[in-house]
Amino acid sequence: MKKYLSNKKAIVVFVLPAVILFLTFIFIPILQVFYYSFFKWDGVNQATFIGLDNYIRLIGKDPTFKIANANGFKFGLVITVYQLVLATIFAIAVSDKRIRFRKFFRTAYFIPVVLSVTVVCQLWGNVFNADNGLLNTLMKTLGIEWSQNWLNDRNTAIYTVAFVNAWQWMGYQFALIVAGIKSIGEDFYEAAEIDGATALKAHWFITLPLLKDTFNFCLLISVTGGIKAFAEIDIMTGGGPGNATNTLTYIMYNHAFGRQNFGYGLTSASVLVMECLVIILVLNWLFKDRETPLFARKKGVDLV
Amino acid sequence: MSKTKKYTADGKKAQPHSLSSVLFTVFLWAYAIFSLYPLLWMIMYSFKDNTEIFQTNPFGLPKVWRFENYVNAWNQYDVPLYFKNSVVVGAGTVILTIICAMMFTFAVTRLNWKGREGARTLISTGQFIPVQAILLPVVQTVSAMGIMGTYWSLILPYAAINLAFSCMVYYGFFKGIPKEMEEAACIDGANIWQTFFLIIMPLVGPATMTIAIYVFLSAWNEFLLANVLVGTTAHMKTLPLGVLFFQGQFTTDWGSMGATMVIASLPAILVYCLFSEQVEGAMTTSGAVKG
Repeated sequence: MKKYLSNKKAIVVFVLPAVILFLTFIFIPILQVFYYSFFKWDGVNQATFIGLDNYIRLIGKDPTFKIANANGFKFGLVITVYQLVLATIFAIAVSDKRIRFRKFFRTAYFIPVVLSVTVVCQLWGNVFNADNGLLNTLMKTLGIEWSQNWLNDRNTAIYTVAFVNAWQWMGYQFALIVAGIKSIGEDFYEAAEIDGATALKAHWFITLPLLKDTFNFCLLISVTGGIKAFAEIDIMTGGGPGNATNTLTYIMYNHAFGRQNFGYGLTSASVLVMECLVIILVLNWLFKDRETPLFARKKGVDLV
Repeated sequence: MSKTKKYTADGKKAQPHSLSSVLFTVFLWAYAIFSLYPLLWMIMYSFKDNTEIFQTNPFGLPKVWRFENYVNAWNQYDVPLYFKNSVVVGAGTVILTIICAMMFTFAVTRLNWKGREGARTLISTGQFIPVQAILLPVVQTVSAMGIMGTYWSLILPYAAINLAFSCMVYYGFFKGIPKEMEEAACIDGANIWQTFFLIIMPLVGPATMTIAIYVFLSAWNEFLLANVLVGTTAHMKTLPLGVLFFQGQFTTDWGSMGATMVIASLPAILVYCLFSEQVEGAMTTSGAVKG
């Protein structure tokens, strides 16, 4: 039996396809990102090693870097607040058997997730179009003088694109939290009820603390989602007006494909990876189990 | 039985018609409409002409149902080509991902060899690598391999991206199969290949189903890589790119544009409606480990 399960030839055949695929398209590329960030490279010819020059130029001198980081932060803030708050409320609601049409609500809230980002951007692009968009038309129909140039205004454009992302992916966090609530035992709530806690209190002291890991993950995807923002921006604003919706990914894309400056583009990509990493570490540290956890429990509802 | 059975969602003890519970219900419905209306609006305008879309009737049901928009989209523009490309890329990605992930996880969980934990850890790091970051090297790799402009240029990277998630789903399943399965097969004289294909593969069917649905949806909707890999190759475009291409080229025919978007979205919506449990299940598993 032992020999049977140590068949060398079989092991090689089973393992190699996945490992080769992974190394070729994920692992080596991520190493290349860091490697070539130290080079001046046009993507085709011989690369020249220039040490930290790309980093110095990007972080120290490139004015778009500041804008890109600010936009990553704004984008992340919008989608985090929007998604986390609504997803939590809706998840608690559809987990309550007394709410009617729960199946319908689940489907309605989740369905934008299965659409393609290009379709979603087209739809909302039509809504936010300054000339004949649905929103401004609606304002006009209602007789409200509040027409906005949603996607072409320096100040609002980043929030508009962030909203589109938040709208599409709220359902994803919703599904995560619904799954989290499902895994909480019934007896917690029964105990709370015996203690005389209202449902709101029960959710505050039971549901939220016990969903710590779920919230950690939700925050992780939405905060890093801000840093990684690209598709909506590429489709709806092209980084504009001016540089108003530029992001780290967009700097990478622009320098590589627009100016044949791959080394510099990859520097931006490597900063992106490092920022994501820092966020993961910070969140894991914040959500680490401690003597006094962040979601402090009160006595009276004795939980864990 | 619900965990919150004695309460309404707003925190009051069972008083079904209190003002706050009514307001809360209104809020739930309002957001449901907000979430669905853009989709319905798209479907409605796919049946309208430009005058109705922009002037006479932007919000409501079409006055005349213009099915010819769909005929136009299908016949005059390249929608059938984009559709075919999306189907081939989606199916190819699903098949390749499943083959690789299933064999790999089998070897890691059921066979005895040194370094299997290391191999598993290596693949699982894929979960943390943002596609955005590796965009440029992947383009370089694909073009160095000489597969630019073929279906492989999308299928191979897509399969690689979905590998970490798929292996993770399989891992749980493979771990749950009792060791006696292989022992019995061995005693009955089956070789390792027969054991894999005839005994193990059917047993992990539910996991395969979940992975297939998830991977299909992600390949069907993928934009980032498709944009840089085949964005400028007309005959290779998938539907998400076709939708964008339309915007640039045929801004005069909004009805057909709407029809194209509906055609691009319908398969994914159908898959979700038919397999909503698996779709949500798959997405939440991917969450469970990333966190």
